[in-house]
Amino acid sequence: MTDAYPMFRHIASTHFLAGLALLLLLAPTHALRADTPAIATLDWTIAETLVALGVAPQAVAQTDAYRDWVGEPPLPASVTDLGLRTQPNLELLASLEPERILISPMFANLTPRLSRIAPVENLSLYTPEGDTWEQMGKLTRQVAQLVGRPHAGERLIADAEAYLASLRTTLDSSNHSPLLIVQFMDERHVRVFGNNGLYQAVLDRLGLVNAWQGQTNDWGFSLVGIEALVDIEARLVVVEPYPVGVKAQLANSGLWQHLPSVRDDTLITLPPVWSFGALPSAKRFATELVAALGGSNGN
Amino acid sequence: MATRSAPFLTPGRVCLLLSLPLLGLALTTLQTHDGLVVGLQALFETPAQNSERLLLHYSWWPRLSMALLAGGGLALAGVLMQQVLRNPLAAPTTLGVANGANLALMATTLMAPWLLIPGREWVALAGGGLAMGLVFLLAWRRGLAPVVVVLAGLVVNLYLGALSMVLLLFHQEELKGLLIWGAGSLSQNGWGGVVYLWPRLTISVLLAWLLLKPLAILELNDASARSLGVSLKHLRLAGLGLAVFITGCVVSVVGVIGFIGLAAPNIVRLAGARRLGQRLLWATLLGALLLATTDLLLQHFTSTLPTLIPTGATTAALGAPLLLWLIPRLRLQGDQPPSAAHAIGHRHPSPNHLAVRLVLALTVLATVALFIGQGGAGWSWLSLDQWSVMEWRLPRILAAAGSGVMLAIAGTVVQRLTANPMASPEVLGISGGSAIALIAAIFLLPAPGNLTLVAAGTLGALASLAVLIALNRRSGYLPERLLLTGVAITALFDAVRSIVLAGGDPRGQQVIAWLSGSTYYVDLHSAVIVIGAAIVLALATRPFARWLDILPLGAATASALGIGVERSRLALLALVALLTACATLVVGPLSFVGLLAPHMARLLGFSRAHTHLLGATLIGALLMVLADWVGRQLLFPQEIPAGLVASLLGGAYFMWGLRRA
Repeated sequence: MTDAYPMFRHIASTHFLAGLALLLLLAPTHALRADTPAIATLDWTIAETLVALGVAPQAVAQTDAYRDWVGEPPLPASVTDLGLRTQPNLELLASLEPERILISPMFANLTPRLSRIAPVENLSLYTPEGDTWEQMGKLTRQVAQLVGRPHAGERLIADAEAYLASLRTTLDSSNHSPLLIVQFMDERHVRVFGNNGLYQAVLDRLGLVNAWQGQTNDWGFSLVGIEALVDIEARLVVVEPYPVGVKAQLANSGLWQHLPSVRDDTLITLPPVWSFGALPSAKRFATELVAALGGSNGN
Repeated sequence: MATRSAPFLTPGRVCLLLSLPLLGLALTTLQTHDGLVVGLQALFETPAQNSERLLLHYSWWPRLSMALLAGGGLALAGVLMQQVLRNPLAAPTTLGVANGANLALMATTLMAPWLLIPGREWVALAGGGLAMGLVFLLAWRRGLAPVVVVLAGLVVNLYLGALSMVLLLFHQEELKGLLIWGAGSLSQNGWGGVVYLWPRLTISVLLAWLLLKPLAILELNDASARSLGVSLKHLRLAGLGLAVFITGCVVSVVGVIGFIGLAAPNIVRLAGARRLGQRLLWATLLGALLLATTDLLLQHFTSTLPTLIPTGATTAALGAPLLLWLIPRLRLQGDQPPSAAHAIGHRHPSPNHLAVRLVLALTVLATVALFIGQGGAGWSWLSLDQWSVMEWRLPRILAAAGSGVMLAIAGTVVQRLTANPMASPEVLGISGGSAIALIAAIFLLPAPGNLTLVAAGTLGALASLAVLIALNRRSGYLPERLLLTGVAITALFDAVRSIVLAGGDPRGQQVIAWLSGSTYYVDLHSAVIVIGAAIVLALATRPFARWLDILPLGAATASALGIGVERSRLALLALVALLTACATLVVGPLSFVGLLAPHMARLLGFSRAHTHLLGATLIGALLMVLADWVGRQLLFPQEIPAGLVASLLGGAYFMWGLRRA
């Protein structure tokens, strides 16, 4: 991995100049352009960042599952499916001759193989130390640099900051009770999201309070039984999808029915958002959350 | 069947002893809430708003009741199974019921989720029943001998495990809820589960009571039981059907709970409960106490962890050492020297011609695998100068062939050594040990490279070999004991895997990819090493051919012919471990080649040890190269790992072949 760096700097600088020239020539546009370096990535978070930067990745792993679990922003039709994220098809990848391959630390063990095809960049987002929002910005900058679009990166960050700030003004946050954000795994267990995660970062930006103060793993969630939610004074936010049959089972769950948010019918349900995403997912989550909070406030 | 029991331990005292920590823990928990009185009040009245009492009423009490019910139910099922099969190692998990239910639920979730709405228990029940049927089919011809049943259960468990791996590999996000279920969590949020389970268990207990007398007759041998005018077939069916029903009900509510059904009946028996009635009573009680105590301990110690440690997988992990301890203390029917009857297959008139044909087939297949394949633009035929594509394919073909050879040799040696057609290196637990170490490396080390992973895998394989040797030295490496040790190690591996995957950590995907076993991670350098190792080890096996011809005839014959039985078993075992460790690192712990290749070779007519080894070697290479190629083409660009394809193709053939033979 380290020996790829000199090469990477060289390519990055030439593309940086090329990107700068293009930016001067073309008015800023959000349309996807194919004139950027051919980038392959295994990581969906990097893929969504690329698309948000206006760069169509050449190839992404598990594009079908990306559509199901990340959804927005959609991958352009030109993207080649590389197969499994953990075992991308190397023959196919080699034949595409990408100029650069972007991975996250989860796929670090593939680096020696991938670097025979193209220079590999290992970009981390969810690490235990540091503020998640800052890290999202850092990741965006890194990706933008690598595709030679530092300005697009800065703009994406500034846009996201401004967008969330504007959303914050529409909320009267002093009026909102703490939120508890969960996603159902089955009828007895949820992932509850807290420190270190995307949802926490968005709540911080919006001036909202996360009621979950317990421990979380490196990806910002903790797997708990529903009973762990009872002690917590908070408004419940459920991120879809509900697994099959869970809604019916919950109707019979004594504890669930006694949760304050369920009893008062103030439960918020949000459409699926990629829980381990970067700025695009964060923006989307913020939009959905504020709409739900605003809507209920209006009543 | 049991051995001496320590005189001061009676089943009643064992239960009493265990109920002390249970009561202590329960009281401590109630004290930390609002005290005992409030706690008991919360049990009986529906609380209004107080969250402490809500928790007690809807979570703590139901969970305790559920643990008692589930533990009791599983132990009851265990006693029934052990009685019907006259096999102290029969249990819901060892017979494949739990894994069958698990796979059925996974497949239904993905393909026909509407089936789950009327009730998961029926899907679980059907899956569990089918899996156990498969186990019986495999063991039928050996008269359902205890060790054979357990081995057949292990083979079916491995096969079902491979199938669920394929589903998991491609659908991890959809199946994450089932991973928790598969690891058995007792957490409750209402009385629904308890209300569902208790009437069913009550009926089951009544039915078991009705079956008590006839089932006790099964302790006699078949002939005397028959002379008493009992329809053995119907009796067995009734007993087993009841056991599967209980397991299915418990499993569908709380998920897979390992080892209670195996441990409780055996502990009670070792403590001196002989008659069936006694064993049913005490085992049910002990099972309930065991599970409830384990669960309370877990709640007590893991409440601050950022993830859930599922109770079911934990009991399984604790149960594995228990099984290891138990094995030397059981007397099993299977310890008798094998009968000559199972030497299935005919002898081919000229095995050398057959071998030449296999070599030809292998050459053709390797050529096809090297030159034909799909790319971005569809199917294509490579020309010789396209090294850029070939550099990815060649190592995989070499590695597939090499690991196939090693597994086939290891399998042949184990099968001849143990005189058991269902033995294989996977079954010995060496692959399992290697996999446990890999999981640990992936989760405990930051971003481990491939070299680290290989080192970890080798260490794990060596560790399980050490366990095998340490536990079996006294018995002189008695074949059946060896295999049972393997069963225990494999069970531990299953438990570790379940705990790790249930947490939903994204690194689980990497674990699944590694475990599913693929030639993916091999480069040319390591492929050459794999092939080299295969050739060297294959040549090293040749001098052992004489031993392998004689050892299956039994220890007495072998020593009469001047073979140091114990020493030769140890030497062969070390060879098997080495072969398995090398192959596991390439294709993972789940491939069936070590089981299949020797078996197919025998069916084709390679019967003497020397030719058997040769035939198995060629078939092993053929199978793996084919599996690797098919796996890469079938779902292009997604790749199904060669180990999984081999187990799916091979496992199906194997079961079909056994039924027919």
